[in-house]
Amino acid sequence: MRGTLAVYEKEVATYFRSPIAYFVVAVFLLGTGYFFLYNVFLSGDATMAGTFQSMGILLLTVAPVLSMRLFAGESSAGTLELLMTLPLGPWQVVLGKFLGAVTLLLVITAGTLVDLIPLYLFGKPETTTILAGYLGFVLLGMACLAIGQLCSALTQNQIIAAVLTAAVLLALWFVGHLQNFQAPTSALRDLFAYLSLNLHFVDFIQGLVRTEAVAFYLAICAVALTLNAGYLEWRR
Amino acid sequence: MLSPRVTSPVPLIELESVSKRYGSRTVVQDLSFDVRKGEVVGFLGPNGAGKTTTMRMIAGFTAATAGRVRVAGHDMATEHAAAARRIGYLPERPPLYDTLDVAGYLRFVARVKGVSRAAMPDELDRVAAACRIEPVFRREIYKLSKGYRQRVGLAQALLGAPDVLLLDEPTAGLDPGQIQETREVIRAFGEDHAVLLSTHILPEATLICRRVAIIHHGRLLAIDSPAGLQRAVEETERVTLEVTAPADDLRRALLGVDGVSGVELRPAPGGAGALLADCRIERREGVESAIARAVAGPWNLHRLERQQATLEAIFLRYVHENPEGPPA
Repeated sequence: MRGTLAVYEKEVATYFRSPIAYFVVAVFLLGTGYFFLYNVFLSGDATMAGTFQSMGILLLTVAPVLSMRLFAGESSAGTLELLMTLPLGPWQVVLGKFLGAVTLLLVITAGTLVDLIPLYLFGKPETTTILAGYLGFVLLGMACLAIGQLCSALTQNQIIAAVLTAAVLLALWFVGHLQNFQAPTSALRDLFAYLSLNLHFVDFIQGLVRTEAVAFYLAICAVALTLNAGYLEWRR
Repeated sequence: MLSPRVTSPVPLIELESVSKRYGSRTVVQDLSFDVRKGEVVGFLGPNGAGKTTTMRMIAGFTAATAGRVRVAGHDMATEHAAAARRIGYLPERPPLYDTLDVAGYLRFVARVKGVSRAAMPDELDRVAAACRIEPVFRREIYKLSKGYRQRVGLAQALLGAPDVLLLDEPTAGLDPGQIQETREVIRAFGEDHAVLLSTHILPEATLICRRVAIIHHGRLLAIDSPAGLQRAVEETERVTLEVTAPADDLRRALLGVDGVSGVELRPAPGGAGALLADCRIERREGVESAIARAVAGPWNLHRLERQQATLEAIFLRYVHENPEGPPA
């Protein structure tokens, strides 16, 4: 616990001392702000649904940038040698780093709350739907970061880590479209739909918090982080 | 020079027939040695000899393919965390987080090593004083000079009072004053801990190491005290004397001394008519004084000194005697 906490605090400190974090937060909030203005003021639709959908897609580009340095940066700076020789288990390193990245995700999420002010001032939005959307966004973000952290452990090059993560995330986002190529009774059709990051997120946006969707995102985190810890142990 | 067997019997680092292979490439082969409490062992070898890989196996960064590595009695393969608590490790490249400041970095390492919050300020002060990094304590690491980076890396290794220090070229990049200070830190630490130090600077090994291990192509060629290595390398010893004497008479007189097996004469530099005589002598007592008596009577003996092989010479000799390529 103590080791995980130390790694976590180090990660958060590293994030906030590097310009990349501020840049990424700024880009994300600007993008979200633009889509919010477009969806609410131009379409006259006093919900967050359109904004959440855009936030999901923005996340696919932002998560790889946030996660790329988690292990690839340590490898290239030579600090992985320190982490792996300190009295830390692989799980402590993996969890500490993941929670650090999730903290940044929560900061970004909190930043978008500013959009709610005009929404509540000028309209009557459904609070529960918005809460469900935010829950979905955070779960989606956690899954993206877990995948990104795993990709980051596989290479020493941060750019390769980011590109690999983006490729995996885009594939999982759009895999749902493949069901259109399958016969309505095909088992593959269900599989493609189930694997889609996007289709589960849509439920949340519509205000549906389904156990299956929550479990889906948490399972992605669990699998990616387990592979991550296993890989660290294996490469010793 | 102390004999290596006089040291305390507690081995803190033990390697038993350790090998490391990457695919079909063998980097370390059948390496066995130990480092005991209270000694500094120097680890010498040309680039690519397997020094860094061996250090990494002892530190637990990579696992041995075969054999056993134990630190403070803990097997690195099964009790990594327990062993890691006893190790301070400075890799070849100091493992620093550039965006953190020195204090924040050291605090992170100290916390992971189990230093309590109450003991933290004293612990940080202790290593900062030992490594003389107080002037940069609040500075971001990316702003530090190479010498300070190296010393912050050393400070990190000293945190949490480890029993074992593994230092991969700790004085690389330091200026002569800093090298002196760093050697002092290592020597003092080695008095009641175990230190394994890899270095390219051979006089450094003679100065601070009780024993020296020579490794080449992943194999251990020799491990002994610097004096022991000298004895092992030289069956004969050399004596050089500077004398003003006729060359032929001097040669005859020297060869007439019991124990002298060869003489080479050359003019002494700057000496008006003086000669330098290099004698190969048997390794036993009394030969030098016999030479002195034979020469100092008839002629003017200016100087007589025993030549000892430097660690460089010993090292090169071991390496050149084992020129075969890397083990298959």
